[in-house]
Parts: sequence; structure tokens; C-alpha cells
Amino acid sequence: MCGIAGLHLKDHALRERLGSMVTGMLRGVAERGPDSAGVAIHDPGGLRVRKDVGDPLAFADRIDLAGQTGLRALAHTRMATESAVTAAHCHPFVAGTAPAADGSPAPPGGMPLDGTELCLVHNGSFANHATIRRRLAAAGVTTETDNDSEVAARYLAARLGAGDDLAAALRRLTATFDGFFTLAVTTADSFAVVRDPIGCKPAIIAETDQWVAMVSEYRALLGLPGLADATVFEPEPEEVYLWAS
Amino acid sequence: MGELTTAVHDPDSADSADSADEVVFDLAVMSTRHVNAALRALPAGARAQVVNPAGRHNLAVGLSRAIRVRIAGPAGYYVGGLGAAADVDVDGPAGWGVGENLMSGTVRVRGAASQSAAASAHGGLVVVEGDASLRAGISLKGGRLAVAGDVGRYCAFLAQAGTILVGGDAGEALGDSLYEAVIYVAGRVRGLGTDARVEDLTDADVAAVRALAADAGFDHVDPQNVTRVASARSLYHFDTAQHAAY
Amino acid sequence: MSRYEMMSRYEMMSRYEMMSRYEMMSRDDAIDGSPVHHTFGPPVIAGIRERAELGRYPIRGWGARRAVPDFDDLLLLTASASRYPLEGYRERCDTRTVLGARRAARPVVLDIPITIAGMSFGSLSANAKEALGRAASQVGTSTTTGDGGMTPEERSASRTLVYQCLPSRYGFNPVDLRAADAVEIVLGQGAKPGGGGMLLGQKVGARVAGMRTLPEGVDQRSASRHPDWTGPDDLKIKIEEIREATDWQVPVYVKIGATRVDHDVRLAVAAGADVVVVDGMQGGTGATQDAFIEHTGIPTLAAVRLAADALADLGLTGDVGLIISGGVRTGADVAKALALGADAVSLGVAPLIALGCNAPTYRLPAAGEPAGAGAGIEVDVSAEYTALGTAPGHCTHCHTGACPVGITTQDDALAARLDPALGARRVANYLRALAMETTMLARACGKSDVHRLEPEDLVALTVEAAAMARVPLAGTDWIPGR
Ligand SMILES: Cc1cc2nc3c(=O)[nH]c(=O)nc-3n(C[C@H](O)[C@H](O)[C@H](O)COP(=O)(O)O)c2cc1C
Ligand code: SF4
Repeated sequence: MCGIAGLHLKDHALRERLGSMVTGMLRGVAERGPDSAGVAIHDPGGLRVRKDVGDPLAFADRIDLAGQTGLRALAHTRMATESAVTAAHCHPFVAGTAPAADGSPAPPGGMPLDGTELCLVHNGSFANHATIRRRLAAAGVTTETDNDSEVAARYLAARLGAGDDLAAALRRLTATFDGFFTLAVTTADSFAVVRDPIGCKPAIIAETDQWVAMVSEYRALLGLPGLADATVFEPEPEEVYLWAS
Repeated sequence: MGELTTAVHDPDSADSADSADEVVFDLAVMSTRHVNAALRALPAGARAQVVNPAGRHNLAVGLSRAIRVRIAGPAGYYVGGLGAAADVDVDGPAGWGVGENLMSGTVRVRGAASQSAAASAHGGLVVVEGDASLRAGISLKGGRLAVAGDVGRYCAFLAQAGTILVGGDAGEALGDSLYEAVIYVAGRVRGLGTDARVEDLTDADVAAVRALAADAGFDHVDPQNVTRVASARSLYHFDTAQHAAY
Repeated sequence: MSRYEMMSRYEMMSRYEMMSRYEMMSRDDAIDGSPVHHTFGPPVIAGIRERAELGRYPIRGWGARRAVPDFDDLLLLTASASRYPLEGYRERCDTRTVLGARRAARPVVLDIPITIAGMSFGSLSANAKEALGRAASQVGTSTTTGDGGMTPEERSASRTLVYQCLPSRYGFNPVDLRAADAVEIVLGQGAKPGGGGMLLGQKVGARVAGMRTLPEGVDQRSASRHPDWTGPDDLKIKIEEIREATDWQVPVYVKIGATRVDHDVRLAVAAGADVVVVDGMQGGTGATQDAFIEHTGIPTLAAVRLAADALADLGLTGDVGLIISGGVRTGADVAKALALGADAVSLGVAPLIALGCNAPTYRLPAAGEPAGAGAGIEVDVSAEYTALGTAPGHCTHCHTGACPVGITTQDDALAARLDPALGARRVANYLRALAMETTMLARACGKSDVHRLEPEDLVALTVEAAAMARVPLAGTDWIPGR
């Protein structure tokens, strides 16, 4: 139960401004999730993930979010539902996607990051994640927290490791997971959004020639350059929206 | 409840000069709570403008007098909700539940409306000049909803009474578990929900659509050329054969 | 076959269900001397036959029939040498209860910590609603509307009236909202957490249908999720809307059916609730599927401790109110609920019984006689219980609308069997007796205020109750799991 935001730059000239754009978006969803915050930023130099408990705005200051550069980012503010409020339980969840040397589908995505990982933020709650967690564990994919959203990240990474492309993995996720979810997912080259079939949690997408942004609430879009000319729409339930660079 | 006798407004935001009888409230310097209290204190006939709304929630909720309020920009959830008698005009998009539980008066959105537009509205008119997303008109209880563009899935879910006019296309599961509300769609219907069916258009329907389109200010809807969707009433009573429908 | 015929056949069959399985097993009336079958005993056979015949699930009123750990499994450690009791009747023991003082300009102030739960006009007759409102006002406590809106009789009869905001939003409107003394956003009920409302056609008469904007006579089944928000992040915005529409005057309660109580209480608080109402699995209902009533949620005993601990962990004990409901019957129940951390309790079925539910007779004042002034007239209606396929003392047939004593009905002739003034007097008597029992036990524990009862005043009779309430098993210092 949270606020989420994702930003994907089509125009790489905006790379220097990504941090300030994401800061505004995080501010716009801060009230939805006062307990903790996190960001993931994909830059040609690698993937940076920061998360912490406490006020999202103070967090943004602390990590100098506005000063960060990048091409793609996720941001999340959390109102904890069924798991504890700790930094480990903060989104974005990160999962390694490369198949393991022994051929098992995908290893856990522990630090350090190599930039090939998948990142996920989630608004909502799953109703059958425990079973999927067990199935993943049986296949050698372990989770680090009891958080339901982490299961989705591991699941997607495992599917990618097994050869699905991101769109196929997300379609499979909507068929496999019960519950309410708006998900935003990033990889080294892609940005994707998907919602559950009932569409119980909010999601708004705005797109221009320069960027595409997904947020929980419209106000989180305010301040993005060129918003007045953006195409703004709400993603259809169950449909996978994907942008790749 | 104490009534404020004079309208509260911020002197620093006084672009009220261009229309002497319009009060301006600036959300850049006032809280939502303060602005709403001031709006509720206005006498019938008053006009107000709320500037810098910046997508804030719960603007102009619970109004009960015949005032006119213009929200000069995007509004968040429940704008104009739980209202009666007032006319609220949003100059931008609106969030979830615009005009929810409206009793009378009008809420107009000059842009897109998010989910559950006019949810459970008992009366009045909610106009969306753009598209409305999921569950528009859910649980409608007698109010009217007019959407110029498309509506998303589950429009009119459990709608009990009232009228919905869709100027564009309707998404899947239109009118699921409908009671006595009636839906008119000018464009395409992607799919009907459980117990909803297409019915013949009568003269009374044409008149209702004409009136609603006129009130909403829609000139792109041909009242003769809409699809009427209403309840087949097969879920009104417990019936063993209907199990899958529950 | 008409609905009514179907109904009575169904009612007859559920007569078997009146006896619990354990009761049946202990009866040695087996025809051939062999013991009653445990897995497929007579009630189970009747249930299967019923489903086979009707092709649907049984529906009924009241809460869970089965025995679950409850307040009877706890005992109070009243004073002796180590602690001193207060004198009954003479020494003060406060019962005043304040709810929702954190944000609301006008918190709810009650003379006793015992309130009347939300029961809809529709499930109850207008007379029953009025009687409950009058009784609550007479003893200085609150009553609550229900899934169907507020009636003027109820508003004027009730000094403190809590207005429910339910998924159906039947009859919900800003005028009544502003006339309320508190608003209760209902996420669920203990009898059916996760399920929607239900009112069968025979109770959807003209007035009820009008208030709910429904066609007369429909079998109403309403939504289980609210139409304009889902989840605590959006509930937070909804609560703010209610506050704006009521000028931040009155407290906002959030009512949940007891399932994942720890999380749900935390989230209700995060969403901005001033008071959390937790309804355990024994909680009553006007009409719900039997499968829901018997098989969902957790016992009130477990729920109260989880809820109180969640509030304590948040550091909000006393700031966010906790109301507990589901199977509260006596002053002892009240005292134990308060000791476990509730600020107040809420009652549904018990005040209906005080009104005359399950009595073999109904009573009316004699012509020209004010209510309660004389013996009045008393009419035996046992035969009507029999016609419903039940008997006085066993009835849970509220869903049929054919209540023999005029409480859960919309039939004018039946409803006339309940005199609001007489009913109010009985319910007020009952509530007063409960309050007296509560203070009696609190005084015996040495407390000058019923809210000073604490978990350490309790021990458990069974291991199960000790584990759920997290108090020691009597005679030991053992709390299972600790
Ligand atoms: C006849 C009846 C109707 C009820 N209607 C409602 C209702 O409209 N809304 C609600 O939240 N709870 C409703 N309830 C549940 C009560 O509010 C309360 O949670 C429950 O009765 C408490 O348990 P108890 O009956 O064991 O005291 C109803 C209960 C009964 C018995
Ligand atoms: S007597 Fe009336 S109120 Fe009591 S259980 Fe039977 S039908 Fe319900």
C-alpha cells in the first residue's frame, strides 16, 4: 500500500535532470507512503538502489536524489501492510536475472549490483504470494524478506532467467498472482507497467517524445518538463505497457 | 456548526480584481481544510475560484449551498464529493471519485476523470469532458453521469438508479450486476457485464439522451443513435442456476 | 415453487443445525444403539440434503454457533490480601468513556463503555431501531446506524448516533452525515469478513427499498469493497474527505472483521482512524451465508488482544480508541474485554434478546396504559417459531423477515408486536445491569475506573484461551508461546 513512480527517458539529453524529475515525482506520492522510501536509478555506469525507513522527503534530501543522473528510475513510498518497516522491506526490490552457472533459473539478487538486475515497485497487496514463494524456493530461487512484493520481483527475474522476455514474464505474472497490484518494473534497458485485472490500485501514465512517466497520482506528474503536451492515460488492467531503449 | 459571516480569502492572491464578486482562494498559501471551510461559508449565489490546486485531494467537498466554484487546475480524489446544490467546475483532470455521493448540483471536469467517477451519486450531474477510467458510475443511485469520451471497464457496476451517457466507447463488463440505472453509449460497447443487456431505444430514451447531452453541453452525440444498456434483472432473486454469476 | 415455499422447506431442514455436532454426538438416542456418525452426523446429512435440493448455500442470522475460546475461558483475579477491593455501591468506580479525542472537535463521550452495534434499518424494524436508540440514550451510550442509512426515528431517539459508511453506501448522504456524532467506515464484520451485505427480498419492503434505492423485493446482495477506494493508502484520502465534509467535528471509526488483526489495526490507524472497531468471529449478522459465519475470522478473545497490542506497539493506547464486539453478553465479558485493552464494547445480538428475541411471547402495553406501567398483554407465539422450523431459544431466522417477536422484520403486523417504549425500557435495564456488573468486578479488582482493569487481572482456564489472550493459565505463570 504505497505510492509509486517510474520514469524512463527516451531523450538521453535529460540524463542530468533525471534526479530532479524523480524528486518531484517522489514528493507527489509521499503522502501515500509515509513509512519508508526507496529509489532505483539505472545509469550507463550501473544501477544504484537506495532505500530507508522514515519520511520520504527527508530521504530524498539525504541521498541528494535531485543531484542524481540516470536514464531510468523507480521511486516508492510505503505504507506497510503485512510486513515490517525496515530498510530491507522497502521497495524497489532488486533481483538478479542472469541464469546461474549450474543452470538453475536465477540466483538471488544480492549486492553488489552489476546493472543487469530487474527492479520492481508495487502498489497493492498479493493474495497468494506465499505459495509462489514456496514454488520459487523449490526451484532454488530464495527471497530475502517476507515482503509480498519481493516475491513478484524474484518471480519476474526467474522468468527472465528462464528465457521469457519482460512482456511475456509480466503477462505470466498477471495470470499467476492474485491480489491487487500496479507494478512498475525496470531492467537495464526497459521500463514496464502492469495492473491486476480488476484495476484496484491507481496508475497514471504520461508520455512525451522525451520521457514516459508512471505515477500513482496525477499530482506527482506536475513539474515534469513538457507535461502540458504529454499524452496522459490510465493503463488498462492486465495489459503490459513496455518501453525499451 | 459555526458559520463564518465573511468569506475568508488570502489578500496576497488577489487576482479577484478582474471580477469583483468572485472570491479567490489560493491553495499555494492556504490549506485544503481552510479553503473548504471558506467555501462552505459562502452564501448561495456566490462565486469562487480556487487557484493552484496542484492535484490536491478533497477539494470543494461537502458543499451544500448554490455556489459556483472553479478549480483552476488539476484536482485529486473526490473533488466535489458529498455535495449538494453547488456547481463545481474543474479546469483540468480529476482523480478518483469525482462527484462521489453527489446529491444535487453539478460537477464538471474539463479533462479526464480517474476511477469511480460519480460513484454512488444520488442526484445532480457529473460531466467529464475527457475520458473516464474504470468503474465510472459505480453504485450510481439516481444521479446522472455524462462522459464525452470513453469509459473504462466495469462502468456502472452495481448501478442502482440514474442515467449514464457515454459519448465515446465503453470498456468491457459494462453494467455488471446492474439494477435500475440505464446506460446510453454513443460509440462501441466492448463487452457487457453479467446481467446487462442491450435493449431497444424508445422515444423516452431519445428524449432522456437529448436532455442529458444538452445539459452536459455535448454536441457530438446523436440521441437517435446510441445503444441502451439496462439490467436483464436475472440476478434480482436468488436462483440456483445463477451460481456462476455470483 | 414460490420463494416462500422454498424458504419454509429450507427452514425446516436447518432445524437439525440448531444442535451442535458435539451436542448430537453426546445424545444416545441413536436408533439401533450404534453411536452417531461423527463425520456424517444428522446435521451434516441435513446440510447436504438441503444443498442438494436448493442448489445454494444456507443463509441465516446471528453469529457462529460453534464453541470457540471466549471470555468465559478467562477469570478475574479479584482482590484479597495482596490487593484491596473497593466497596460496591459506595466507592466510586468510573465508567465514563471518551472516544476519538485525538482529532475530532467533538469526541464521543459515553457514560458507560457499552455501546449498541450497527444494525441496519432493513434487517431490523423501525420500531426495533427506535427502541435501541432510546435505550442507548437512557443509559448515556451510543447506538449505530447500519447498511441502509439513518431513519429520522433513530436520529431523534439517539443522543449519540454513529453513522456507518459501508461499501453499498445505501442511503448514505451528507445531511445525515453531518447529523451524526461519529462516522464508522465499515471494512468488514466478524460474521463475514471479506463478504458483502445481504438482505433477502421479503425484507426489502417499500420503505427499505426507497431508502436503499433498490427495486422492492429484490434479494439484495451488496458489494464487499467500497466503490471509491481500495487499500489503506486510498482509505486515508477517503477519511480526510469525511473529515472535510463534517468540518473535522466528529470522530471517524474504522470497523474491521477480525482476521489479520495486527496488520489491519495498524493500517486503519495509518489511514487515520480515531477509533478502531474490531468484530470477532462470533459477531452477529442479520443475514449471511452459514459458511462465512462458521468458518471465517478469529475469535473475539484472540482479536481483542491482538488489536490492543498493535495499538500499544504504536504507542497509541488511549489515543486511538478500541471497540470490541462479537459475543459480548454479560458484565463479566465487558470487564474482561476492558482488561484485555478494549476502551469499549459493542453489542448486537444481546440487545435484540433483551428486546424479546427468542422469547416465546411478545408483550405490548394494554390499551391506554403507558409502556411498563402495568403487566400489559402477553401473546404466545411459540407456534410461529415452529412454523419457521425452529423454537423459542433456538431461532436464528432473522433473514426470513418473519420474526415472531417483530424485531427483524419489515412486515407491519409483525413489527407492531414490538412496542418501542417497552423495548427501550428492557434494553436500558439490560445495559444498566451490564454496567453494574462491570463496575462490581472492577471494584473487586480494586479499580476506581473500569478502564484501569488490565491483562494482569486475568488468568485463563484453558491452554487455548491462555495462548489467545496471552494471560497465564490459572494457577501457573505459563503463557503459551511466551
Ligand atoms: C440483525 C443484525 C444486523 C446487523 N447489521 C449490521 C450492519 O448493517 N452493519 C454492520 O457493520 N454490522 C452489522 N451487524 C453486526 C453488528 O454491528 C456487530 O458487529 C455484531 O452484532 C456484534 O456481535 P454480537 O451480535 O455477538 O454482539 C449486524 C448484526 C445483527 C445481529
Ligand atoms: S426471534 Fe426474531 S430477532 Fe430473534 S433470531 Fe428469531 S427472527 Fe431473529
